Order: sequence, then C-alpha cells, then structure tokens
Amino acid sequence: MEQFIISASSGIPIYKQLYSQVERMVLNGYFPVGQQLPSVRQVASDLDVNPMTVSKAYGLLEERGYLTRLRGKGMIVNQRDEETLQQDKLSIIEVMIGELLSQAHHMGISQQEIIQIINRK
Amino acid sequence: MTTIINIENLTKSYKKQQVLTGVNWKIQQGDVVGLLGKNGAGKSTLLKSLLNMNEVDSGTITIFGEPHKQLTTQSKALIGYVPQENDEISWLSVRDLINFRKQFYPTWSDEKVTDLIGRWEIDITKKMAELSPGQVQRVLIILALAPMPKLLIFDEPAAALDPAGRRDFLKEILTLVSDEDITVIFSTHITSDLERIANKVAILDKGQICYFNDLDATKENVVQLTVHCKEEQNITIPNLLRGSKFAKGQYGIVSKLDKAWLTQMQNQAVEVTINPMGLEDIFLELTA
Repeated sequence: MEQFIISASSGIPIYKQLYSQVERMVLNGYFPVGQQLPSVRQVASDLDVNPMTVSKAYGLLEERGYLTRLRGKGMIVNQRDEETLQQDKLSIIEVMIGELLSQAHHMGISQQEIIQIINRK
Repeated sequence: MTTIINIENLTKSYKKQQVLTGVNWKIQQGDVVGLLGKNGAGKSTLLKSLLNMNEVDSGTITIFGEPHKQLTTQSKALIGYVPQENDEISWLSVRDLINFRKQFYPTWSDEKVTDLIGRWEIDITKKMAELSPGQVQRVLIILALAPMPKLLIFDEPAAALDPAGRRDFLKEILTLVSDEDITVIFSTHITSDLERIANKVAILDKGQICYFNDLDATKENVVQLTVHCKEEQNITIPNLLRGSKFAKGQYGIVSKLDKAWLTQMQNQAVEVTINPMGLEDIFLELTA
C-alpha cells in the first residue's frame, strides 16, 4: 500500500516531505493513537528511496513526540494531551497563513481583504 | 566511522591534458555517494584511477586502509565495479562469462545471479556481442553484484537503461544498501537517479572534487532567495553564487544559507523568501 507520495526531484529533501506527510496524517487522525506505522524497510521499498531517508523522517517524528518506538512493534502513534495536539495543529496552520499573507502583501492585497475572503468561505 | 576510501592530492593527465588536478576525497562505510560531473569532467578517470586501472601521476589512494596498488586478494574480492563500456569478452555467451568470472571469487552467490537473470529476462545462451546495450549493462551489473561486494563502484550504471530498467536497477541497489556496511559510489549526469538512493553528493569539476556533502543538507543549503525590503536598501547576501537586483529587492542563489543572517534580516523587517531547488539546478549552479 502506498500511503505516502514523494517527489524525488523536488528541492525539499525526501525526509522532510515524508515527515510533513506523517505529521499531518497523525494530526488529522488518519493514523490514530496506537496505530503502528509501516516499517522503514516497507516504506523505503514502496517509495524506492534509501531506508536511511525513512529512518531520518521517523527519527525526527519520534523526537518531536508524534511517534514512539515500541520494542518489537516498530513505530506507533504516540498518545499526547489535547493541548499539545491543538498547538501543533495551529502552528502548521500559522505557517500556511504566514505564506499566504506574504504572497498577498506582494500583490498589494490587504489583510482586510483576506479576512473578507475567509468570511465568505 | 570507518573510512573506506581515502584519496589525497590525486593528479592525472593524458598527454598534455590535465584531467585531475588534486583530488581529495574521503568516503565512509555505508555511504551511498552520487558523483556528478559534466561530460568530460573526469568521472571515469577518477573511478579507474581509484581501482588502479589507470596509472596516476601523483597522490595517494587507500581502499579498506590498504594502498590501492597493493590491495590484498581478499580486499579485491570485496569490490564490485561496473564500467561505463563493456570491457568483457564479447565472444563468450553470458553463461560462459558468468562461469568464467565466478572462478575468481571466494564468495559468489549463484542465487543472486539466477534471481537477477530471471527478473531481468536475460538469455544466457546469447553471446555478449548479440545483446542490446541495455542487456549488456544488466549483465555487467549482475557480474558486479554476484560476489556480494562491500564496495560497489558504478560508472554511469544506468546510461543505457530505459526508465523501467533504471528503476529496477535502483531498486536492486536499495535492497543492497539496506545492509549498512555496503558502500556505493556511482557516477552519473542524470541527477534524478541519485536523488532517491544517494545520501551524499560529490561534484567533480575542473579536476577536483569541488563539492561533497549530504544530499539533504545540499537541498537545505543551496537555495534561491528573494529579498524584499521596505525601501531601497543595500543588502549583502552571504555565500552568494549569483544574484540580481530589482526595485526594493534582490534575487539570489546561495551556496549555503546563513541562518544568523536570516535572523538578522527578520529583525530588520526585511522579508526573505526561501525557494528550494532541485538537484539538477543545484548542480548547474555549483558548476557554472
């Protein structure tokens, strides 16, 4: 099963692409708490990428608290409190809004106009 | 970390043409290195010098800690090499060639050979001369992988393969590198081949290894920047490779993104947009 999509020729390193996909899949509940993630070898083979790349992404997700390594089971989704979860979700959205505002700013669109668009949605 | 290959001040010329002008290069165990270089940069010369298939002018090379001209038989048996052009006896059938080569190696996996021949649909009764360039390349790859080497050197391994063949080849290399002691170097000018499998990228340009770094770090460091200022302001971008100015801003490509400078810019309310670049563009910029 190919759950992840990567673009090898992108300027964004493959481990980062993988990191953000898993991060979102955890935050949106696609991977619920306790869910076991496919093994490094499995992902590397599905995507035709170096296993080191997958390990690097998983390692970073573990470091940031999204995943936890369970003996004999590999990586599973970590149980975390609601507050941290909410903060992580918001920080992702904040980065996206930051990019949006910067683009808008260069086009000369005001924050007010952006808010109007948001309210219409 | 164990150093597998160490090259110091390697020079090599052909008649009057200086090809390698002082190569320094150290490769660690477990590295999967993509060697990039323009046509004629000397990639094949470098790899052949390493394997003592070329007489070098000066410099020292060690492989597995041994001088490259005095490798022990055991060390030699641990090296697999796929040349750019077929240098095997072309009047032998694939079967005879395999049996011939097998005699030289203490570790030879018949299982690996049978598996790859089956998967890559090679007719072993045919003579090497009768095979297509893509099939020849596949046979050469099989010959290099069969002795279960610990160091693999590929010179443009996928050049004659079609996209499906290239992907099969990459898959095979990936299976191999799951074993962490295996070190791989492959030269290519097709950057997409190495983006999936290499962890390091080296660039050979003007006779030297002018760049050697992690592939991920390369993509994170060599980026295109757009700098927007509030008013006209003279900003010096550190590590600039190439840049141009426009009203209230600058555009540039840097060889290394300077984090401290970035923070400084943010504090001055100067907006810096970072655009990542693909390896092909990075390669072109670094060798421009």
